[in-house]
Amino acid sequence: MKKSDKVKETPVLTERDIYNNQMHNYGRLFTWISLGLICLVPVLYCVAAGTLPDWEALGKCVPFLLGYVAIGLIEAVSYAPLLGTGGQYMSFITGNVSNLKLPCALNAQNITGVEKGSEEQEIVTTISIAVSSIVTTLVIIIGLIPLLIFQEQIVEVLKPVSPYVIPAIFGGLTLVLIAQYFKIAIIPFVACILICVVGNLIGYGDALSQSTMVIVGMAVSGISTTVLYKLKKI
Amino acid sequence: MVESYPIIYIIGAVIAAIIIAMSVFFIIKSVKRAKKIGMDMSKIKKTVVSSAVFSIVPSIPIVIGVGIMMSSLGLAIPWIRLTVIGALQYELIAYNTANEALIGTGASTEVIVATAVTVMTLSILSGPLFNAIVYKKYQGKLADLQKKNGKLMNTVTGALLGGLLAGMLSALLVGGIFSVGSPSTEEATGIKTYGEITLITLAASLVIMGICGAIIKLGKQKWLENYALPITILGALAIAYGFTFVFNF
Repeated sequence: MKKSDKVKETPVLTERDIYNNQMHNYGRLFTWISLGLICLVPVLYCVAAGTLPDWEALGKCVPFLLGYVAIGLIEAVSYAPLLGTGGQYMSFITGNVSNLKLPCALNAQNITGVEKGSEEQEIVTTISIAVSSIVTTLVIIIGLIPLLIFQEQIVEVLKPVSPYVIPAIFGGLTLVLIAQYFKIAIIPFVACILICVVGNLIGYGDALSQSTMVIVGMAVSGISTTVLYKLKKI
Repeated sequence: MVESYPIIYIIGAVIAAIIIAMSVFFIIKSVKRAKKIGMDMSKIKKTVVSSAVFSIVPSIPIVIGVGIMMSSLGLAIPWIRLTVIGALQYELIAYNTANEALIGTGASTEVIVATAVTVMTLSILSGPLFNAIVYKKYQGKLADLQKKNGKLMNTVTGALLGGLLAGMLSALLVGGIFSVGSPSTEEATGIKTYGEITLITLAASLVIMGICGAIIKLGKQKWLENYALPITILGALAIAYGFTFVFNF
């Protein structure tokens, strides 16, 4: 065997690969910058207030922190195939993924009719999440003004309706997506209903929040869809 | 209200500026790429308009979240925490966990806030750290799968989306049904959730979206596509708001 045969072939990068690599590089850069700034907040607060966190209390919070670390990792892994490269970086800097960024991107994908897995889908998703991030950031900034002026009064007026934003989004969104995902979603839907009913009956209803059930739904759907795929039913 | 130091407002402004700069940067890169692959620019326009209109209403509860948290943490910290990564329910749990760990210790307000902010910050780092360190490799595997077996990859994404819808709807439906007649009150925020209103809102959202769909298809009003979901959300929330008076009466 010639020596050159042993050299591992360098894969030929397509234009899409190069673009994707650029998105990763910029995404990582913005993520590191954001992480640095986020971590500065408690440090600057301590400096400004001339205080330190209570280390013993922090120690008591470790089990809670471990739980959140796990949730963060599960969310990052499971949302990645849905958000695209740019969308994933932006979503995990700006947050509100399942209740705002993902429904917003799905709505844009549906309106524009882009093909699944296509580069057009990636572009639409990225732009949608970027626009959503800008709008949310601006709405929060604008919202600070009435909060400063009216303080608790404005909160008291709007607070009663806040638990109903998620059903208002997901009712309509379900109708839009039901035809596409009916075959895949029906088994996890029935399973999740059963889990919720049993959980509520035995007194664990509070633990089965929307965010918990999204993860449970994704896990059940992953298993059931794999089985359907292997049986060539989808 | 807890004091908000000017430096915290400054760092908040820097974070907001970075988020806007990052978003604009990704929009520019994506539009350039779209032009390069010959994508129909009307799709980009539709995406921008629909996403901007869509995002306004669901952003308002985030402002309410800032308002709820400001009595415990001042204005600047909740603003930052809900601008980056944070979601109200997670932040409040993080705050309460830190607060409970300090009960009976005689800790000052400043120590409580410093501890809470540290816990809130540490608890949200894993997602972005995953992206910064592991995501490129992970996405490479997903891209390989897409190239080798596009159908399987589309099935995987379909499974995740189907699971998300199934999980969210089941929690809303069953949670709503089980709290009919016995509204739940979130301890940290004092927000009361009526199962009846959850179910009414869900039904209203379905019906309004159905009407929008009929107008788009039967009435051939294609322009409505961009606004159908925002109109649905707004309409369903208006109905929910009306019912809060009925049930709170």
